[in-house]
Amino acid sequence: MSASGVVGRPVGRERGPVGLGRVFVVELVDDLRGIVREPTALFFSIVMPVGFFVLFVSMFGRQNSGMLATFGTFGVLAVTLMNPGMGVAKDRERGWLRAKQVSAVPVWVTLAAKVAASFPYAVGVLVAMAAAAAATGSLSATPWQMARLVVVLLLGAFPFALLGLAVGFRASTNAAAAILNALLMPSAIFSGLWMPLAFLPAFFSHVAPFLPPYHLAQLALAQLQPGDGVLGHALVLVAMTVVSAGLAGLSYRSARP
Amino acid sequence: MTTVLDVQGVRHRYGGTVALDGVDLRVGAGECVALLGPNGAGKTTLVNLVVGLLARQAGTIAIVGGDPRAAASRRELGVVQQSLGFPTTLKVRELVVGAAVRAGRPRSAAGPVLAELGLAELAGRRAVKLSGGQRQRLQLAMALVGDPALLVLDEPTVGLDVAARRSFWGIVAARCARGVGVLVTTHLIEESAGVADRVVVVDKGRVLASGTPDELVAVLPDRTIVATSSLEDSVLAGVPGVLSMTREGRWVRLRTREPEAVLRVLLAADPGLGDLRVEQAGLEEAVVSIGAGV
Repeated sequence: MSASGVVGRPVGRERGPVGLGRVFVVELVDDLRGIVREPTALFFSIVMPVGFFVLFVSMFGRQNSGMLATFGTFGVLAVTLMNPGMGVAKDRERGWLRAKQVSAVPVWVTLAAKVAASFPYAVGVLVAMAAAAAATGSLSATPWQMARLVVVLLLGAFPFALLGLAVGFRASTNAAAAILNALLMPSAIFSGLWMPLAFLPAFFSHVAPFLPPYHLAQLALAQLQPGDGVLGHALVLVAMTVVSAGLAGLSYRSARP
Repeated sequence: MTTVLDVQGVRHRYGGTVALDGVDLRVGAGECVALLGPNGAGKTTLVNLVVGLLARQAGTIAIVGGDPRAAASRRELGVVQQSLGFPTTLKVRELVVGAAVRAGRPRSAAGPVLAELGLAELAGRRAVKLSGGQRQRLQLAMALVGDPALLVLDEPTVGLDVAARRSFWGIVAARCARGVGVLVTTHLIEESAGVADRVVVVDKGRVLASGTPDELVAVLPDRTIVATSSLEDSVLAGVPGVLSMTREGRWVRLRTREPEAVLRVLLAADPGLGDLRVEQAGLEEAVVSIGAGV
């Protein structure tokens, strides 16, 4: 081959920029197809927390109308912390993430779609819990309060989804599941997401403010009942967003191609 | 010829280990270049740099004149990986449509590519249900639907049977003929001789040789004369120009760099000479002699 200096695209093949919105929609639809075509994951993500909710609300629900908020926080965190992180770990293992990385689309579009695809699970959990509470006669929330609860929990779940992604970029699928569960379960219990803090030893109330899920639960509670100021809790979650976004970025960069 | 991939002076190290030690490589539009080398030669590192998965440490890489990590360059790039695990829930057509959208092309671009690659009848099937050959064709469809200027194929035919390989390379050759530049890494030397316009032999992070398959073979002047003969072994070995002699069953094998001179002597001296042929070294021997133990 002669080393002619011509560098460039053969003529007549220029095109416009990639539509990131279109890509986001395709990725989201692909992820949602996964839910519809393999619904077992949806079933377990909803049945497990809702089952525990029914158990606990039948024990404590009459004295505590906020359990929909606290247990709802647990249900939402269980899917938003686990699903995107495990999804990305699985994609990485099978080489599918690589296929996205070499495309012209920034990888954050894929990640955003994964986070958004966990929302139907989160809404499903909350609706199922509300239905269970109604069936057991302990639902006191109005539709307007429920709507606010859903919005607050979905927004507040964002830093947890980022944390899940940070783990998913480094760990194998199985390890990611183990690590994320090990983070979720103790922090849920110590934050009073299962048993209301009022029913637990005082020690729990001292530890809870150091755990982000506690602050999300307080924001959720404030939608159902009058509470103290929400600003402090919101600030904690904003700070956690910054930290977990940084962790996710570092983790992504150090992941081997 | 328009250059679609230009690699110059690329060095790369992982900690203290040198993976690439000054590599130059160029792929023109419509040219198919095979990157040949043993495991650990640096092929994967080079490919990861070209497709932008690794950050460049030293040297320059340009895809159609642009940085491999820029979105505009990536749109000129189609990649087929050695083994890709598709999502279990997605169907063939959905995957190709997704690839089209990711490359900034209309969803309708998927149909013609599916037809061209013989995947139209499988379009409604889940990708994980496909055979190995069909999966690699699907990956190729996903790469081609973006209408790339450069196609990077990383060991694309590992584990495929002969028919699947032939069909895969047929599609690649057709695109090549339409002006797409191809860079393919492979262990399969003789296979690359069939598809590549140019072979680049790498080992230990350096380019050892580069040329057409014929040029590489030509670096080996040795020929082997194979024949049945009525002459004694010692006589055969003593013919001027014969470097060495071995016997395999009825045949003798004479290694030489002057086959014409040796044949003149043999034809004159040996009335029992028969079953005559002269062999040239294959690309595999050439690559081994160049120094890359592929």
